[in-house]
Amino acid sequence: MKTADKTGKTYISTRAWIVGIAVFFAVCVVGTVLLLVQKPGTVANVYRDNECIYSVDLSLVTEGFEKTFTDENGHSNTIRVENGRIRMIAADCPDKVCVDTGWIGNGAVPIVCLPHHLVIRIEKQPQNDIDSVAR
Amino acid sequence: METEKEKKYTINPDHTRSRTRRLVYDALLAGIALVIFWVELQIPPLTPIPGIKLGLANVLSLIALFAIGPVDALAVLLVRILLGGLVFGNPSALLYSLAGGALSYLVSLMLYKLLRPGQIFICGILCAVAHNVGQIAVAVLITRTPAILLYFPLLGVSGVVTGLFTGLAAGFAIKTLEKTN
Repeated sequence: MKTADKTGKTYISTRAWIVGIAVFFAVCVVGTVLLLVQKPGTVANVYRDNECIYSVDLSLVTEGFEKTFTDENGHSNTIRVENGRIRMIAADCPDKVCVDTGWIGNGAVPIVCLPHHLVIRIEKQPQNDIDSVAR
Repeated sequence: METEKEKKYTINPDHTRSRTRRLVYDALLAGIALVIFWVELQIPPLTPIPGIKLGLANVLSLIALFAIGPVDALAVLLVRILLGGLVFGNPSALLYSLAGGALSYLVSLMLYKLLRPGQIFICGILCAVAHNVGQIAVAVLITRTPAILLYFPLLGVSGVVTGLFTGLAAGFAIKTLEKTN
C-alpha cells in the first residue's frame, strides 16, 4: 500500500505500517498467552551451557534446602529450593539479575545468570536422572 | 544529496552544515542520552523478566538520526552504550547492549530512507523490537540455550509498547525542534 507525497516520491502509508505492526503485535500477544497458560511441570532443571547439571522435583520437596553451584572458574550461584518454588539467593556475578528475578515456580519465566551461563527452568521432565528426587 | 537532506530533515540545515555546530549537537544529544540512561537505571524494574525496559535513551538516537543524519545517530548511540555501560551500568551487560544497539541501528538506517517525518514513531517500534531480537540472540549464543527463544513473543509485546512510546516521544521532539528553527 503505497502513497505518493507532493514531490511524487512514493512511501508506504502510515496505515499499512500500523496494520503490519498490529499483526506482529497480535501474534506476539497470542504467543505470550500460550507461554503463560501452558501447564508447566514441577521439575526445576539447572543448566550450565545447555547441559543439565541438577534436577529437582519441586512438588516432592517437603523441607527447604540450599545448594551451591561452582563453575570451573570458581564463580558460584546458590539456590534455595522450597515446596513448589525455587530461587537464586546468592551469586557472585556482577549484575545479580538472577537473584533479582526472585521465586519462580510456574514455568513462565526462567532464572538466567548470563555471566555464569546458568539457566534454571521449570519443566515437566528431569533432564537427567541423577539427583532427580529431592532428599 | 545535500538537497535531499535539507528537504527532509528538521534541525535547521544551516546549523548542521558547520562541522562545529554539528559536533555540538551530537555531543549535546549524547549527553542527554547518557543522563536519561542513568535516570532509567534508578527506576526499579517493573517486571522480573530481564530485558523489559522503556529504553528512553533511544529517543535521543532517533532524534539524531532524523534531525541530523545517520553518522550522527551512530555516534550518539555508541557514546551512550560505551560510556553508559562502563560508567553506570555493568560491563557484563555491554555485549547485550551492543548487540541490541547494532541491530536496532541497522533497522533504523533502513527506515531512515523509507519513512516520512510524520512516521517516526514506526521507527521507534521497529527499533525496540530489533533491540530485543539482538539481546535474545546474544543470550541464546552465550548460554547455548535455544529454549530462551520461547520468550521472544513476550519481548515482542514489550518492544511494540515501549517502542511506540519512545517513537512518539522522538516524533514530538523533532516536530518541536522544527518549530523552534
